[in-house]
Amino acid sequence: MVYIATFYSHFGAMRFKKDCERQGVEARLMPVPRDLSSSCGTCVRYGGEYPCPAGGWPEEMEQAVAVTEGGYRPLYRADRS
Amino acid sequence: MDFKQEKAGIILAGLVIGVIAAVLVVLGNPLNMGFCIACFLRDTAGALGLHGAANVQYIRPEIIGLVLGSFLLASFRGEFGSKGGSAPVTRFVLGFFVMIGCLMFLGCPFRMILRLAGGDLNAVLGLVGFVCGILLGVFFLTRGYSLGRTYKLPALEGRVLPVVQVVLLVLLLAAPAFIHFTEAGGGPGAQHAAVLASLAAGLVVGALAQRTRLCMVGGIRDVVLFREWKLLAGFVAIFASALVCNLILTGVTPTAYFKLGLAGQAVAHTDGLWNALGMLLVGFGCVLLGGCPLRQLVLAGEGNTDSAITVIGLVAGAAFAHNFGLASSGEGPTANGRIAVLLGIAVVAVIACCNTFGKKRGE
Repeated sequence: MVYIATFYSHFGAMRFKKDCERQGVEARLMPVPRDLSSSCGTCVRYGGEYPCPAGGWPEEMEQAVAVTEGGYRPLYRADRS
Repeated sequence: MDFKQEKAGIILAGLVIGVIAAVLVVLGNPLNMGFCIACFLRDTAGALGLHGAANVQYIRPEIIGLVLGSFLLASFRGEFGSKGGSAPVTRFVLGFFVMIGCLMFLGCPFRMILRLAGGDLNAVLGLVGFVCGILLGVFFLTRGYSLGRTYKLPALEGRVLPVVQVVLLVLLLAAPAFIHFTEAGGGPGAQHAAVLASLAAGLVVGALAQRTRLCMVGGIRDVVLFREWKLLAGFVAIFASALVCNLILTGVTPTAYFKLGLAGQAVAHTDGLWNALGMLLVGFGCVLLGGCPLRQLVLAGEGNTDSAITVIGLVAGAAFAHNFGLASSGEGPTANGRIAVLLGIAVVAVIACCNTFGKKRGE
C-alpha cells in the first residue's frame, strides 16, 4: 500500500520521513498533489504495511490518506483542521 | 488529475495569464503593469486615504477580481474553508516588510516577470535578489522553521475579506467624494483599463491561480527542495506569453511595449543593488509566509484568514511606504527606503531565527 501524509510545516514532513526510514519504510518528500489539497506545502509519500510506521500520528501531521486506484482513502485528519 | 495533466494545466494557465496581463496594458494599465499585486494594493490604499501620494490612488478592480475569483471557484469546488490562527501578528509584520521590499523594487514577483517580458533588465537583478531571498528562507525551512498550525474557524470569518472586496467594488463604482482617485495624467494611478475589463481579468486570473496554485515563491522553493519544476513552469509560461504579446504589440502599434535595456523603463529605477536587496527581502519574507503576494490573495479568497491578515499587512506596508518616503520612484530609491529595507531584512531574519531555533522541537 502507498500512503501520502501532509504536514503543517516542511520540517514536520522532514521529520516524519526520517521516522519512516528509521523503521525501514521507503519515503520521499514531495509537493502536495493538487487533487489532494489546494494548499501547496510538503507531503511525504511512503509505502509499507502500516499507515503509521512511527507508532502514533505526529502532532505536525494534517492528514494521511491511502492512495487507491480511484483516488485517496482518508485515514487520519488532525483535530480542528 | 495526474502529474502530466497538472503540469500542462499550470503551463496553459500561465500562457493565458500572460496574454491577459499584456492586454490589460493595451487597455490602459501602466506599461509592464498588467498585474502588480504590490502596486495595486498600494493604489487601493491610496484611494482609501491611507496614504497621500496623489499619483497612485485608485481602487484596482484586478485585486477585487483575484480574491473573488478564488473565492467563487473554491466555493464551487467545495474547497472553501475558514481557517487561521497560525501566528497572525507575525504574518502581518512579514506582509508589511514584504511590501517595503516590493516598493523598493517597484513591483511584486508577478510584476518582476512582466517587467522582464517588457525588456526591463533591471528586473534581472531583482530576480537574482529574489532567488537569494528564497534560498535564505529555505535554509530556515529545512532547519525547523514553522509559524504553527492553522485551525478550522467559523465560516463567516473566512468570508470577511471577500465581502470587503465587494464593498470596495461598490465604492469604486459609486466614487463617493471621500475616495481618492488620481487625476487624469497625474501618474500611474490614472492609468487603468475599464473597470469591467479589469474586474473580469482579475476574476479569471484569480480562478486560474486557485486551480493551479500558481506561486512564484512556491515555484522556486519547490525547485530547490524537490527539483520539481511544475509550479515554476507556470511563471515561465507567463513570461513567454507576455513577451510574445509585447513583441507583437510593439510591431503593430506605435507604442513600445518591449524595450530592452536598463534606462528609461516604465515605473522602474536603475539602482541594481537596491533592486536586488528589495527583492531579497520579498523572497525571504514570502518563503516564511508560504507564498508570494498573489498566492496570499488567492488563499485569502479560499478562506485562509492568516493570508487575509498578510494582505492587510501588505496594505499597511504600502501606506507607510508612501507616508514616510520609503517607496522608490523612477529616479531611484530614497534614503528612508534603503534604511527600511535593511531593517526589514533584519526583522525577517529575527522572525526566522525565533521560529526556527527559539522553539522547543521535542527531539
